[in-house]
Amino acid sequence: MIITKLLEHMKFIHYIEKISGVSIYGLSSLLIFGSFFLVMLIWAIRADKGMMEELRQLPLDKIKGSGKIPIILIGLLLMSSGAFAAGPPAPSSIDNTFVILSLVIIVILAMAIGLLANVLLGASQIPVSKKEAPAGTLGDQPADDKEKVPGENGMPEKTYAGGMAVTASPRSPWSRSYLFLAATTINGVSDTAFYFISGVIILEVLILLTLLYNVRLVLSIHKKAKAAAEGETATAPAKPPVSWWARANKFKPIAEEADLDLGHDYDGIRELDNRLPPWWLYGFYGTILFACVYLWRYHVSHTAPLSREEYAISVQQADIAKAEYLKEAASLVDETTVKQLTATDELAAGEKIFETTCFACHGKSGEGGVGPNLTDDYWLHGGSIQDVFKTIKYGWPDKGMKSWKDDFSPLQIAQIASYVKSLQGTHPANAKAPQGTLYK
Amino acid sequence: MQIEKFYYDNRTVKWFGYAVMFWSIIGMLAGLWAAISMYYPAMNLGIPATTFGRMRPVHTNAVIFAFVGNGIFMGVYYSLQRLCKARMFSDTLSKIHFWGWQLIIVAGAITLWAGKTTGKEYAELEWPLDIAIAVIWIVFGINMFGTIIKRRESHLYVAIWFYIATWVTVAMLHIVNSIELPVSMWKSYPVYAGVQDALVQWWYGHNAVAFFLTTPYLGLMYYFLPKAADRPIYSYRLSIIHFWALIFIYIWAGPHHLLYTALPDWAQSLGVVFSVMLIAPSWGGMLNGLFTLRGAWDKVKEEPVLKFLVVAITCYGMATFEGPMLSLKNVNAISHFTDWTIAHVHIGALGWNGFLTFGVLYWLVPRMWNTSLYSKKLAGTHFWIGTLGIVLYAVPLYWAGFTQSMMWKSFTPEGQLRFQFLETVTHIIPMYVTRSIGGALYLTGALLMVYNLFKTIRKGSFVANEAAEAAPLPEKIAAHGRTYWHRWIERRPMQMLVFSLIVVAIGGMIELIPTFLVRSNIPTITSVKPYTPLELHGRDIYIREGCYLCHSQMVRPFRDEVARYGEYSKAGEFVYDHPFQWGSKRTGPDLARVGGKYPDSWHYNHMMDPSSMSPGSIMPSYIWLFDHELDTSRTESMIHAMRKLGVPYPDGYAIEQANKDLAAQEKSIRSSLQADKVRTGSNKEIVALIAYLQRLGKDLKASETTSPQGNHKTLAGDGVNSSQLGPGQQKSAPKEQTAMKDADGRDVMGN
Repeated sequence: MIITKLLEHMKFIHYIEKISGVSIYGLSSLLIFGSFFLVMLIWAIRADKGMMEELRQLPLDKIKGSGKIPIILIGLLLMSSGAFAAGPPAPSSIDNTFVILSLVIIVILAMAIGLLANVLLGASQIPVSKKEAPAGTLGDQPADDKEKVPGENGMPEKTYAGGMAVTASPRSPWSRSYLFLAATTINGVSDTAFYFISGVIILEVLILLTLLYNVRLVLSIHKKAKAAAEGETATAPAKPPVSWWARANKFKPIAEEADLDLGHDYDGIRELDNRLPPWWLYGFYGTILFACVYLWRYHVSHTAPLSREEYAISVQQADIAKAEYLKEAASLVDETTVKQLTATDELAAGEKIFETTCFACHGKSGEGGVGPNLTDDYWLHGGSIQDVFKTIKYGWPDKGMKSWKDDFSPLQIAQIASYVKSLQGTHPANAKAPQGTLYK
Repeated sequence: MQIEKFYYDNRTVKWFGYAVMFWSIIGMLAGLWAAISMYYPAMNLGIPATTFGRMRPVHTNAVIFAFVGNGIFMGVYYSLQRLCKARMFSDTLSKIHFWGWQLIIVAGAITLWAGKTTGKEYAELEWPLDIAIAVIWIVFGINMFGTIIKRRESHLYVAIWFYIATWVTVAMLHIVNSIELPVSMWKSYPVYAGVQDALVQWWYGHNAVAFFLTTPYLGLMYYFLPKAADRPIYSYRLSIIHFWALIFIYIWAGPHHLLYTALPDWAQSLGVVFSVMLIAPSWGGMLNGLFTLRGAWDKVKEEPVLKFLVVAITCYGMATFEGPMLSLKNVNAISHFTDWTIAHVHIGALGWNGFLTFGVLYWLVPRMWNTSLYSKKLAGTHFWIGTLGIVLYAVPLYWAGFTQSMMWKSFTPEGQLRFQFLETVTHIIPMYVTRSIGGALYLTGALLMVYNLFKTIRKGSFVANEAAEAAPLPEKIAAHGRTYWHRWIERRPMQMLVFSLIVVAIGGMIELIPTFLVRSNIPTITSVKPYTPLELHGRDIYIREGCYLCHSQMVRPFRDEVARYGEYSKAGEFVYDHPFQWGSKRTGPDLARVGGKYPDSWHYNHMMDPSSMSPGSIMPSYIWLFDHELDTSRTESMIHAMRKLGVPYPDGYAIEQANKDLAAQEKSIRSSLQADKVRTGSNKEIVALIAYLQRLGKDLKASETTSPQGNHKTLAGDGVNSSQLGPGQQKSAPKEQTAMKDADGRDVMGN
């Protein structure tokens, strides 16, 4: 709690959310990685030439996982893109326990990475110093890394279509309504912060695993070199390296299959006693855990919104967004303020909508049909531009005219109304008889 | 021990095999027809039987019950005998089973084309056929269990566990979902209504997928894959775990068809979480299958049979990952009611069911005719065409589904909906075209297969009864080798049956019973009243024509849906809906609140020729509704049945008042049509349909407004003239105006 107290004193943290419109978390991630690379650069420049020589001798082509690094970098880039989204300001979360815990984890992992990197560097230097050992150590590394185990011809790639929901970037015009379908805070921190923190932790774990793997690899090379140096011939035939897929499933080699046969025989079909693939089993447990957490959050603790609440939230947020937009929009016209539009492009826009929507009941030229004739001077519900606007906007449901206010913007309705007014006196064919009262 | 000699019956397998081939073509043709009519409405031909609404159930029933059904029986009859080392229990029962099933299919196709449908997906066949299905299913069960009991193999192989679970669960699902009250020879109403009907229906519907399309085929996979690849099953342990987990978890997943609907939230959540937990058991099957091929992958390159099986199992894995993903509410919010669901279905159907059936056929036929496949090359071609067909089917529909959903949800900055519904349909037409090409390719592949197998049969000689020999079961079965606790139940088929039934019954009971007994799950809405007799007729017409296949009646609590359709649907609105008609797809817009939105004449014109009111519409025209007479003699039995099912029509209403009210309402609609220059003869079906459509959503609007003016019909024979809220007011001085013309250019007077 000392940390909390300390942070409380650093009051300015409660106020800084963005600098020049860029979220503070994005900036801090930039800072962290910037300094990391700066430090690397300085170290590289200041390293003495001797160490460089030794590093050059490292059997780096044997170290797997180099392909992982571009992927990690790209993943990092993608994850950090969320940090730069200038979303609505989130409540400051530095004093959130989740954040503190995560920061502690991040620091510990970073220290572990540093330690392991050191070990790796140290371990990789050992065979280098045995350069003078008899031939057969470094030069003749067993070439069977790439050799496939008989029968392990590679599993078919599992592909799956579909996948998790896509949260379109906030810039996409179609995403606004969908953005609000999910809760915008996780564990009390903003989306941005949460994803950033988890991203960093995941990245550190990945780096740790890669380093661990490489340490093991280098150590095994070292062991072989040592064995060769002491003149021992390899005793058992070198066990060919097992693919990651085989390890993930704990495959037993096919050659040892007979040990696993259960002795069942069903019309010639036999069964082996292989164990359950670990990733499958733990994945299964994971889904069960998911189920418990899901039901807990939605139905016990009510920390996640059910459909009605989601709806209410989305309506609320849409109203806020709409109000903000309308403050700036010139589209604020309603039945009391609407004026007859006369510009050709406005009338053309109104005509376009008329020809595709209104014609069904009012005829292509406004001559009427199911609905009344719009080209004469007789109106059922008033003939002023305001009245026509009102009729289109609210409709007359009990007369059969639908309300169009949810289908067209006020500007569009003004355009349609103006177009309708422009049809006065056009005398189309098959005109329906006048209805209503005269309005000139 | 004395070795017994006996013979396996191949004849029944052969007959089922012929049936599979035959019905595969029919079923796919029906599907292709339906697919083409979605962008080329002229395919509807203007006759009832070929409209999409009737063709689609023919397609689904043909491919599920005829194609996959016969495939199941073919595979079970072949494998069960050999796994039990015993001939089928009774040759007579085998014959009854075969012919009975085919008769059901033929009767089903005819009745569906004739519009005799219950209106519930994959359970459309009416009550006489439901009874027939139950009878034949029992015949199958007796034959199957009789064979198991007289087996000479002490332990049951995993395939047989799947067959047993299939049999008992399908029986349970079919019986419970088909509880219906007959009104006439070919019409019945389910005893369930509204939300409860929806839950029972999708408890059934999803598990039709699980226990008709999945578990029996997993059993087939467990037999035919190791046989074809000559490899042992990878993990016996895995088969035990995934079998029990699968049959337990699958049952609960039904509500994932009803996410964001009026179903109670707790049921929806159960559907979600159990669907997610289902990934592992399903993938257990996939892994066991694919890992069995370790050491045989080089064979896969050579053998078309193995190619089909591998792709089948892979598609199974894809579909059983996608399914749980689609069960997550946030994904479902996008995918429900769109073509994404269709794409998902067809990955499983074309990939898993189709390809597995083809693989089994290619393996079985040469074997049973004691020859080799006529052309491996042709089989390979079939494989590639079929795979391409699957891809061209699914991918455009993913695009279409996602795009359409995003368009539906699009708002302008002012808060208006950006797209009209029709725009979202016309936008994805090219995807429908591509999809039908994919389906046509798949069908072509199947035709190649039929040709190939036909030629194989011709050059072979059929082995009707295959000789075999084995020792009978000893009195006491000695355990040998390493034993598992599970071996105990593998020796006891009856206990296996009972345990399986208990395991599958749990999920259903926990979900169904509270929904029926706990009143708060369906809060009462007092303004909701039963349908009028005329509206009931209209509803039956709606079901008959299959309208629910393109139009949903379930507004979800989303901003865009409320803006487009009206207030979101509440559970209490549907209490009198026998059956519910929430729909699962929006090829056309939702109709839950269409009542009062358009004038009667709009509906009249729209049903006559949809493109007159909605240019570019792909909806077929329903011109026969304007000629057909309404059969008012049925009114009494309809109302009577509804009363029996709990709908509160007054005593004696059916006999005394119902048809009077019907006539009065019919008259008022006709006069409102007349006011709009539309003349129709009396007592036509179109008027009933209009009455029904104009009622949808009205009751809820009534509870929101306090207007006393004729909100909707009052009943109880108090003489109140039934006038619909909505257009019905006399317009001033109706003048001459060209009335709607029918296809021959005549004034529609109706006659």
